[in-house]
Amino acid sequence: VTRWSWVIDQTRCIGCHACTTACKSENDVAVGVFRTWVKNVDVGIFPDVKRHFAVLRCNHCEDAPCVAICPTAAMYQRPDGLVDFDESICIGCKACMQACPYDAIYMDPDSNTAAKCNFCSHRVDEGLLPACVVVCPVEALVFGDRDDPTSRVSRQLAAKQVTVRRPEQLTRPKAFYIGAHEATLDPLGATHEEIYMWSDRGTGAPCLPHPASRTLPARVAYDIPRQRTWGWKVSSYIWTKSIAAGAALVPALFEIFGGRTFGTLLSRVAPAMALLFLALTGALLVADLKRPERFWTILIRPQWRSWLARGAFVITAYGAVLAAWAAAAWFGATGLVAVLAWPVAVLALFTAIYTAWLFGQCEGRDLWQGRLLLAQLALHAPLAGLAALLVVAPLIGGHPMTASWSTMAALGLGVLGLLSLGDVLSRHPTANAAAAAHALGRGAQSRLFWTAMLGGTLVPALLFLAGPVATYPLAGLLTLAGLWLHGHAFVLAGQGPPIS
Amino acid sequence: MTDGKTAGRQDGKSLHPADDGQMQAGFSAFPPAERWSDWVEGGRKHSLVATTCFNCEAACGLLAYVDQETRVVTKFEGNPHHPGSRGRNCAKGPATLNQIHDPERILYPLRRTGARGEGKWQRVSWDEALDDLAGRIRAAIKDKHPNTVMYHVGRPGEDGYTERVLAAWGVDGHNSHTNICSAGARAGYAFWMGMDRPSPDHANAKCILLISSHLEAGHYFNPHAQRIIEAQQRGAKVIVMDPRLSNTASKADHWLPTFPGSEPAVLLAIANCLIRERTYDREFVRKWVNWEEYLGSREPGAVPEVSADGPTPDSRLPFEEFERELERLYAQYTPEFAEAESGVPAATIVECAKLVAAAGSAFSAHTWRASAAGNLGGWMTARCLFFLNVLTGSVGTEGGAIPASWTKFVPAPHVRPPHPTTWNELTWPKEYPLAFFEMSFLLPHFLKEGRGTLDVYFTRVYNPVWTNPDGFSWIEVLRDEQLIGRHAALTPVWSETAWFADYVLPVGLGSERHDLASFETHGGSWLGFRQPVQRALKDQLGEPVTDTRDTNPGEVWEENEFWIELSWRIDPDGAMGIRKFFESPYQPGVKLRIDEYYRWIFENSVPGLPEKAAAEELTPMEYMRKYASFDVPSPAYRRHEQAVPAEEMAESAVNAAGRVFTSKAAPASSNITPMPVPPADAEGRRAAGVMVDGVARRGFPTPSGKLEFYSSTLAAWGWPELAIPTTIESHVSPRQMDASKSEFCLVPTFRLPMLIHTRSGNAKWLNEIAHSNPLWISTADGQRLGVEVGDLVRVETEIGYFVVRAWVTEGMRPGVVACSHHMGRWRVSEESGTGRWSSALVKLEEQGNGCWRMRRLHGVTPWPSSDHDSSRVWWQSAGVHQNLTFPVHPDPISGAHAWHQKVRVLRAETGDQEGDIVVDTAKSHAVYREWLKLARPAPGPGGMRRPHWLLRPLRPVAEAYKLTADG
Repeated sequence: VTRWSWVIDQTRCIGCHACTTACKSENDVAVGVFRTWVKNVDVGIFPDVKRHFAVLRCNHCEDAPCVAICPTAAMYQRPDGLVDFDESICIGCKACMQACPYDAIYMDPDSNTAAKCNFCSHRVDEGLLPACVVVCPVEALVFGDRDDPTSRVSRQLAAKQVTVRRPEQLTRPKAFYIGAHEATLDPLGATHEEIYMWSDRGTGAPCLPHPASRTLPARVAYDIPRQRTWGWKVSSYIWTKSIAAGAALVPALFEIFGGRTFGTLLSRVAPAMALLFLALTGALLVADLKRPERFWTILIRPQWRSWLARGAFVITAYGAVLAAWAAAAWFGATGLVAVLAWPVAVLALFTAIYTAWLFGQCEGRDLWQGRLLLAQLALHAPLAGLAALLVVAPLIGGHPMTASWSTMAALGLGVLGLLSLGDVLSRHPTANAAAAAHALGRGAQSRLFWTAMLGGTLVPALLFLAGPVATYPLAGLLTLAGLWLHGHAFVLAGQGPPIS
Repeated sequence: MTDGKTAGRQDGKSLHPADDGQMQAGFSAFPPAERWSDWVEGGRKHSLVATTCFNCEAACGLLAYVDQETRVVTKFEGNPHHPGSRGRNCAKGPATLNQIHDPERILYPLRRTGARGEGKWQRVSWDEALDDLAGRIRAAIKDKHPNTVMYHVGRPGEDGYTERVLAAWGVDGHNSHTNICSAGARAGYAFWMGMDRPSPDHANAKCILLISSHLEAGHYFNPHAQRIIEAQQRGAKVIVMDPRLSNTASKADHWLPTFPGSEPAVLLAIANCLIRERTYDREFVRKWVNWEEYLGSREPGAVPEVSADGPTPDSRLPFEEFERELERLYAQYTPEFAEAESGVPAATIVECAKLVAAAGSAFSAHTWRASAAGNLGGWMTARCLFFLNVLTGSVGTEGGAIPASWTKFVPAPHVRPPHPTTWNELTWPKEYPLAFFEMSFLLPHFLKEGRGTLDVYFTRVYNPVWTNPDGFSWIEVLRDEQLIGRHAALTPVWSETAWFADYVLPVGLGSERHDLASFETHGGSWLGFRQPVQRALKDQLGEPVTDTRDTNPGEVWEENEFWIELSWRIDPDGAMGIRKFFESPYQPGVKLRIDEYYRWIFENSVPGLPEKAAAEELTPMEYMRKYASFDVPSPAYRRHEQAVPAEEMAESAVNAAGRVFTSKAAPASSNITPMPVPPADAEGRRAAGVMVDGVARRGFPTPSGKLEFYSSTLAAWGWPELAIPTTIESHVSPRQMDASKSEFCLVPTFRLPMLIHTRSGNAKWLNEIAHSNPLWISTADGQRLGVEVGDLVRVETEIGYFVVRAWVTEGMRPGVVACSHHMGRWRVSEESGTGRWSSALVKLEEQGNGCWRMRRLHGVTPWPSSDHDSSRVWWQSAGVHQNLTFPVHPDPISGAHAWHQKVRVLRAETGDQEGDIVVDTAKSHAVYREWLKLARPAPGPGGMRRPHWLLRPLRPVAEAYKLTADG
């Protein structure tokens, strides 16, 4: 077998950036994005201080998270271990950028598709070494087959001690470093200032990590600019999806467990609202794609390991059942309504919670992989559905709340609040997750987060518990606002800590 | 033994260390040369054409990929056949692609229509520009003021071509950038060995001492870095002196963050260790150092009688006496003394001394700018550094410091004009008789003082307004049509200087021009051929070419052909005796074609090339068009030991000091690398060697024929106290600084690995990586000043100030601040002038009496162009143009501008903005006058303007060296 691999010898590297420009030239990489770059970190105290370099790029992981998450197999692994991409089928969902724990993937601004180091596969297939290997003045970059004992890669792996980036991510990377300083490979191993030693940091730079314990001061002296990958459209999609799920889940549960006839609100408005928000969800999802016109690729050639692909089918199935259910309710086909309530409920729940597994595939964002997310999303849906219905209830006269339901809403909000606090307060298994949680509770997203906690959770919970019925629409409104704010804070915070 | 072994490897084989399956079976680094004419990539047919990079001076090989159908260059890789760069490049090599496709580049000749600097231009034809310039030059020559024609070159990137043009015109009009660059180092090396630079054989060294950041900049960055790392991986120790944590310092085994100007003290302390412990190469010093002359100078008349049989064993002053003298002379330079001067612990210095001693003849050392370019007396850094090479016997050895001329090959052209007969006082003023070389950066002051005027001034890929100190004084004289009659800027891109020209004449980049270059990258010689790749391709395909404009974008030309054409227009009928130097060697009387010029050289002046070409069934020209480089078989090591051939000895005489003179002509050589001309004897016989232990050997091209520990030249030209390696108090030494007044030494010269002066401003990939030059301040000083990273500080110099952000760092010696040299490009017009990848838009205000103010209107911003990337520019910084705030500091001996500045660093004041610059040029002129007082003017012995033996570009005839009564 062939397993193409990198050996990157930082004892040789002089930090000249030739690999950076040779790569830009060979692969026509646009300004603003990089397939390979050289991070500089100054470590120590004068005069015992050194600048350490690390050439960073795709690791061609054996267990490549970018491949697993890609909904269309645009990101794929070849039999020789080379992780390549096919820009002709990439829909530009950016999920691979969230999945990669190494910051190796970017959106090509010309094609609006994902790209990254691919070992110069077009050269490799012709028997030519990657461009960076050829240009490197000091032979610091070594390309070769790990399974070929005569290759320079194999000989160096046998002779030298090597490290890999972020081993805790368990991706089995195939970029092996000789003599790299930990502060260069650990994304949180050094602090960032507002500028670098001879460059700007760029707008949209990730938030500064909270100070980790280090024996020596380490400061990033050069790094590339980065943009946040997912923003308000993704936060909003989670939110509209919760409403879409909840607005049907609530009446479906009534149908299943309540055994009572519906009011207008539940029978007609709720399914319609669910459909509307599901449509909005779809619109947001498509709008967030860099290649929205290729949306259908997901359904035509799904990559089944991807929760993005699975989710698309869950949503589609949910939409179909929901439409049927809404029609049945509209035309008063009560039998059908009762029968469909079960699949509606199940699919609504899945629609609400599949995002937890999708976020779980985002190996680059440790905060999103917390176990609490599934429960949070499961709570989001009924709360969002209920809240949305409460908001529209005054418009159509009447609300569905009974005392027990309002208690349950308060309880739900309480549990959700505790779960959210858990993100901030609990111990996290990785430094990345801890840094993100810090951003959420005490850093860049803390204002969003605490507004959500107080105004969007505590206040409506109190209103549901003790407020007059007339305040329920307000409580609903606050709940919805809280859900969005919290979701947004969570999405942003997860992407905060540098991962390279 | 790296290069020695690879020297013969060129036969069609790649020199890249990963090629031909060496890294991975079945994998190559490059397409094989036999397929270069028809290489399919990305489904398209390409021709691969070799050329030479035109970014830094290293002249590394490049391989251009030309799409056969569109004839567009699609990328540049290294040239695997280039012996210096061996298929590898730094970041600037591939970025040549940005430069040739830069949407900002100038495509047609332009002529000023408004006032100088007003920014109004019209397109003109080359003919109009040529006729105008030729007419004026012709008149200047005819009217006997040839030296009002001046050619001012930045880094030439070529050997000999343009000097030949000037000599043909009979004009002593060569001006260079050398004295803002390497003059200090050159002087320090030249007073030792005549030749003004070493070729350090890093690859074979055991210990490498660098006082320049050769792993990121320096001369020959990429070729040297390859070899330094190669040696280090093999176990060699690397010692780096630099007050700033450069990348090179970071890679060093020992970083010595010396206080600027204290380097000689540290070097002499190392010397002292070697001397005291007798760990120096006593035999080498005894044989090859002019110790007898030194002892004689100490005790006049005590030079021992030396016969043709060599010094007698019982000579009155034995070598041991010199050794005792050495010990006495350098006893004061203890490691503790050096620690007090430099801030480097004595123990570290002792440890380094052990490494130097252990390396012996495999000790390679180099300094080029850095300390030598920063300090008053900076040349002494190079002199003291080479002292260590002398003490270790590592001169001309494997792993040592080879005199650069031994590794350089400049092939003779078909016809060589005579030396100019006049002396140019504007470039070689009598105040600086020992300068290396032209006092270029004083030109504005000389013009202001009325020392002369210029009728035609060429700036060639040179940007003095930006690059030189005191740029506002440059602007003042460039604007003055009384002082400069015509200014033609030969440049590929807009620059701050071109803005003040009368003509902007676009010339080609690395893949659009012809040049020949040979540089001292290692223990071997090579010749690199820069060529217009599209033209080379047309040649290959048999398509006709009139001149390089046919294949360059727009009407971009190349200087080579421009000079031929200009020379013909100066002397259209040949009556002035100029035209004949620009006629074809193959068709008498016909205008020289540039391919004929090089063809003749390759056929006649490069030993081994015709044979090697024939082996591949190519003509020499075809061979060079294909490989663009040639490994010249030439012994690099121990040339000083070569015996003087018997035929020269047949007509020889040996003087009392053992110098061998001969009346035989020098052996014929097609290598015309400029060499020093040691004085002839009274009978006019040339110096050919020196007696060593009874054998006449070649020795060194110095007056004594040996390495000159004692420089009789310095002694005779007014500097006896500096005739041996010693220390000179720098103008920025700690004793000059008052910390309580926030005074610091500013190091404004440091370079970055991905930029090159103002030549890389048009490369988007490079500017994307580096685009700001914050002031490096040590953490301790930052705390003292209350300054944090990103804060604005005001840096006050003698003549003004600039406002810049702070980079507070552990990587800086306290008491010293540093600001990178590259950035701070500016333009005054939104859409023209200096390229937008790298420049800020500024408002330039002249407030009268020499007071100037610059304020930034905006930094780098995206703009729409044919290149989508211009709208994706994400950085805003353009850096700050600090050089504007520096007065000139001419070193009285080397003539180097001492770049370091004594500055006050203060927190910015209310209203200060990043990029603010305020300067008073009246003050700068006053500083010039102060430094001028340090000079000890000519005449020297014999009423000379300059010691005739020293190197000098475009050396005039000997008679011109006589300082005449009228100046």
